[in-house]
Amino acid sequence: MQFRKGQKIEVYRQSGDEAWESYMDDFIGCHGIITDPDTAINDPDALIEVSLQGMGTHRLPQDCLRAL
Amino acid sequence: MADNVCPVHGTIVYLSRKLASGELTEPRTIRISEEILKLLEEISNGHAGEDHLDAVHTRVREFFEHSANPEGLKTGTYLKGILENHGSVLESHIATGNCASMDCVRLAPSPCQMACPAGIDVPTYLSLIADGRDAEAIEVIRRDNPLPWVCGLVCTRPCEMMCVRARIDSPVSIKFLKAFAAERAMSQALYINPPQKPLNGRKVCVVGAGPAGLSAAYYLALMGYTVRILESLPVPGGMLMVGIPRYRLPREVIDREVAMIQELGVEIVYNTVFGKDITLESLKKEGFGAFFLAIGAHKSYQLGLEGEAQYKDKGVIDSVMFLKNVALGQRTVPGNRVVVIGGGNVAIDAARTCLRLGAKEVTIAYRRTRSEMPADIEEVEHAEEEGVNFAFLTIPTAIAGDGDRVTGLNCLRGELVKKQDSDRLYPVPVEGSDYILETDAVISAIGQFVDTDGMDAFQDIQWTRRGTIEVSRASMETAHGGVFAAGDAVTGPATVIEAIGGGKRAAEAIDRYFNGMPQPRIPSVPVRYRREKPLEMPASTKMVLKRPEMAMLNIDRRRTTFQQAELGYTENMVREEARRCLRCDICRRCGKCVEICRDKMGIDALQFGYMDFDNPGETDFRKTAENCIACGACVANCPNDAITMEDRNDERLLMLCGTVINRQKLVRCQSCGTVIGPVKYLEYISKKTGGMKTVTQKARLCNSCARTHTAGFNVGTHPVGQTK
Repeated sequence: MQFRKGQKIEVYRQSGDEAWESYMDDFIGCHGIITDPDTAINDPDALIEVSLQGMGTHRLPQDCLRAL
Repeated sequence: MADNVCPVHGTIVYLSRKLASGELTEPRTIRISEEILKLLEEISNGHAGEDHLDAVHTRVREFFEHSANPEGLKTGTYLKGILENHGSVLESHIATGNCASMDCVRLAPSPCQMACPAGIDVPTYLSLIADGRDAEAIEVIRRDNPLPWVCGLVCTRPCEMMCVRARIDSPVSIKFLKAFAAERAMSQALYINPPQKPLNGRKVCVVGAGPAGLSAAYYLALMGYTVRILESLPVPGGMLMVGIPRYRLPREVIDREVAMIQELGVEIVYNTVFGKDITLESLKKEGFGAFFLAIGAHKSYQLGLEGEAQYKDKGVIDSVMFLKNVALGQRTVPGNRVVVIGGGNVAIDAARTCLRLGAKEVTIAYRRTRSEMPADIEEVEHAEEEGVNFAFLTIPTAIAGDGDRVTGLNCLRGELVKKQDSDRLYPVPVEGSDYILETDAVISAIGQFVDTDGMDAFQDIQWTRRGTIEVSRASMETAHGGVFAAGDAVTGPATVIEAIGGGKRAAEAIDRYFNGMPQPRIPSVPVRYRREKPLEMPASTKMVLKRPEMAMLNIDRRRTTFQQAELGYTENMVREEARRCLRCDICRRCGKCVEICRDKMGIDALQFGYMDFDNPGETDFRKTAENCIACGACVANCPNDAITMEDRNDERLLMLCGTVINRQKLVRCQSCGTVIGPVKYLEYISKKTGGMKTVTQKARLCNSCARTHTAGFNVGTHPVGQTK
């Protein structure tokens, strides 16, 4: 899935990526908006900035996100 | 504290009031109270870790270690009582992240504030700007972001993406309003630093004077730390200065805001490379007890094309070096016909800079299509207006030259295809489609990475597979004790506001590190500092006001000079635009008002479609007046006093965060003159209590007069079943 700025997403599962920290488990089920997609190299592996409702803005791996 | 108030929330209110009122004067008591307040705030919002409760207990005990201090004893006794009587509630907050009495969520910040990586209290400062109080607005912003002017010009504005107003028409222009307020406050000499705590004798070394480093230095200096920033460049700002062109961010803006930080005693040592010009050992000897690494991501990825190495500096340039040289004063045009490879903001910046240096033709070659470009859409449009060409679906294969200089870029046409098990589109070359893009300069702008030179001094630091410094995101702490990091060095090339937020988080974590406080489990949530009174305006004005267009410098000057391209809003535009804010810090869009009006009262006057995040419906505040009876059921059920009702000058006003959504003439009791409500409301009541009409002879009476006038009626004069 290629995410775009302003797209609505859901954090639907844990990521296996090393960037996933235990507190991010709290985000599962949250809805939000992509605020900064992989601006560097359009890389599916890049961490992307997501603003989650009630949870703030975080950089997350893309494999834990799905578009709404 | 009232019995029905959550003890966590109640204690936060208690400590906040004590600290704000100046009631506490003894430094130790203030320090312990501030630390407990910080811990309780994290417990309140569900971000506390396992050590938080122990840390609160430890600090409460500290009050009693100095029995000669009555202030401390009084505060300590109160807090000890809370811990003894309500300890289980605190434990439950930590374990579940929930507040059973819902008191703690009352402080939930607005979506724009939550979206901001630095957590700026947007609704409060917009409200202040709308009211013409620009300096106060800047004071609010600088609690979370020491560079409001810079961000007002270059922020990627995640706040605007989450802006609830966008669900009605378009988001509030938060970014430009911030720039206006900062410029106005600076020009009127009202942009001032907040009071600083006395020096605490502790020293922190910051490596890098970019947004993360400056942000950390600012907050550490305010907390009383002695801060020295080491900067390898001859100028401050990092990528702000050497990555962002002057037509987007004038140098004076950076200089003025950096000067404000230096005014706090922050020392910036320029032209100094950590690990080369100065070592970790020498800094430790000088007494630096913590280090903050904000080294950025200043190295460009190579294109990996044939001819790239051969023609390096003979027409092949990397974008980071190119923009840096221009920022430092070099004004040499790289070529007449320039090709920039990449699709991000850096590619756009490089292309627009080439035009300003005098390049006759500039083309951005991008492997995908316009809709996949990661660059900001406004930046792309500005580039097009200025005459930058775009070659989409262009896959460079080699750099051609005549031996001395680049002459062309060999390319293939591409097409986007989906790979198996992926819905992402990948560019694939079309066979036989090769062609040459004639050019005499190729600028690569395909991304940057962290330069690790000098970092081997911190042997315990871990690096991620992405080549960035590994930290705990909640505290920005590395695996090397006393060493913290943030900014692009941690996130990879990211945004200015993310770096500023990281720097602020790191400053708090460094302070905790020195004071032996546990670090939070989750990155801290934004804090609301105050609840500014909403500005009153008619519903029609709220709906009619539209986001203003940004005036731009004329196109010829944009193509030839580095003058700021965006000219900013006029004062009138700014005040009106700020008034479009829906004040989501007050209305949390829980929808209770809509439900009560529709389901309980059966009126359905509130068409607030914007309240639904996933499926927003139609919103028109003007429509409320059509059906609303001003009964006040919504007001009574609003958990945050967002909807209010007020009787003023013979009228009843119903207001949602200051927007007057209904205004009805009041009727008075025909007997005593007491206000009994608007006609619509009385008719509604009359329908529900039809049997009373005959008794009151259709007179509009208040309850008291109605009772008096009907006192003569009883079952003797009006037997049951005979009332007409």
